[in-house]
Amino acid sequence: MSGKQIIYALLLTLGGLVLQTTLFGESRIEPFGSSPNLVLLLVVICAAYLEPEPALLVAFTSGLLTDLLGGSVIGLWAISMVVVAYITLRVRRRIDDGVIVVAAGLLALSVLGQAIFAIAGTLFGQQVFADPGWYRQIVLPSLYNVVIAALLIPIVSKIMGGRQVRRLV
Amino acid sequence: MEPFRRFDRSTSLFIGLLIVSFLTATIDVRSQGAGIGDTLREGTQSLFAPVQQAASVVTRPIVGFVDGISNIAGLRDENERLVNRIKELEAQVQDVVGLQNRLEELERINDLDPPGDLAAVTARIFSVGTSEFDHIRWIDRGTDDGVVEGHTVIDEDGLVGRVDFATESRARVRLISDPNNGVGVRDLSTNETGIVEGQGSGPLRLRMFNPELSVDEGDLIVTEGGRFAPGIVVGSVAVSATAEAGFSLITEVTAAVDFTRIDFVKVIVGWLPSEFSGPPEPGDPIPDAPDPFEGN
Repeated sequence: MSGKQIIYALLLTLGGLVLQTTLFGESRIEPFGSSPNLVLLLVVICAAYLEPEPALLVAFTSGLLTDLLGGSVIGLWAISMVVVAYITLRVRRRIDDGVIVVAAGLLALSVLGQAIFAIAGTLFGQQVFADPGWYRQIVLPSLYNVVIAALLIPIVSKIMGGRQVRRLV
Repeated sequence: MEPFRRFDRSTSLFIGLLIVSFLTATIDVRSQGAGIGDTLREGTQSLFAPVQQAASVVTRPIVGFVDGISNIAGLRDENERLVNRIKELEAQVQDVVGLQNRLEELERINDLDPPGDLAAVTARIFSVGTSEFDHIRWIDRGTDDGVVEGHTVIDEDGLVGRVDFATESRARVRLISDPNNGVGVRDLSTNETGIVEGQGSGPLRLRMFNPELSVDEGDLIVTEGGRFAPGIVVGSVAVSATAEAGFSLITEVTAAVDFTRIDFVKVIVGWLPSEFSGPPEPGDPIPDAPDPFEGN
């Protein structure tokens, strides 16, 4: 594990965060009233390339920055992204099973990440479920994430050195 | 599934990070957005804002292009006889339309008089929320420009939201569509008061304090004062409603502002709710509520 990979992973998620707040969302690109969750997607992809501890720390940092630049309680996205990164570390061996498994996994992890935020947000008084379209806010970004992953995975793979996905042993 | 080793290093770190996250969230909620949370937000915003503003310059044309394409697609049937002409002009229009819309919006918003001739500053949105659940905007004006927490934000159509966090050069606006935001309002047809609450992507919800009088579709709803400057158009009643069993009167309001299109806004710096400006001193003049029809 090189320190360079960790820095690349951090830069990627930070770049995703900047794009998320300037290119996607309300007043920006938002097909069918929703936009992808780039940071969550990048956390999942980077977790597939990093050692467990750095992957969790990158996820935590990304989540914390997402909270700080957003309007929610600090720590909610950190919870969500740490959980998603941890599960990614546990299931990333299944990447070898093919494109459909990867797509299904990304979809499930994205839905899980969004759902954890919604539930944790509710626990901390964010009233996420007051929005009648809350289920759409969870499902649509996850579907967009799967589509965008087709573009991002080769790029991230190249940046991270094109190496084999790591395994927890 | 990878083999699970009880309390291996990554699991310990995972649990540790979860605990830290929960503690951070708890502290942030308990401090009600002040203290260390605000300091961290301010620091992060100072670091990211220049990058976001630069990125926004690059992404605006892309957003404008996508917006232009989607508008063209939506109007295709209606404008069928103009298709050939559109094709000729499309290339030019796509470049120009985005700039023109922004210029017009800026002109309109600079002509806009805030209610009661209150002082206001024009600001531009440079960044949006970080997720689908965020109903905020970051504007390029802050405490250096007189913008502080509690200020009302409007655009040429009506009420946009309220500043809930401000740094020296930037501020965060929480939209009225945010479920955590409530606006004290008045129905101009009946003069009855109530509260409008955000529902995220859904329409605004209106709850009248007096359920005896019905509200009718099209009734104009304006701010009543309290947390927002009074007399600003919030929207119009979308569905007529009468009280259910005399207990409550709840209906929907169509917001006057299209939250997906706001770019420039005006921050009313000449009015602060009492929770921020403090109690009135003896001898202070009693402010008059502005006439919402003034200038119409």
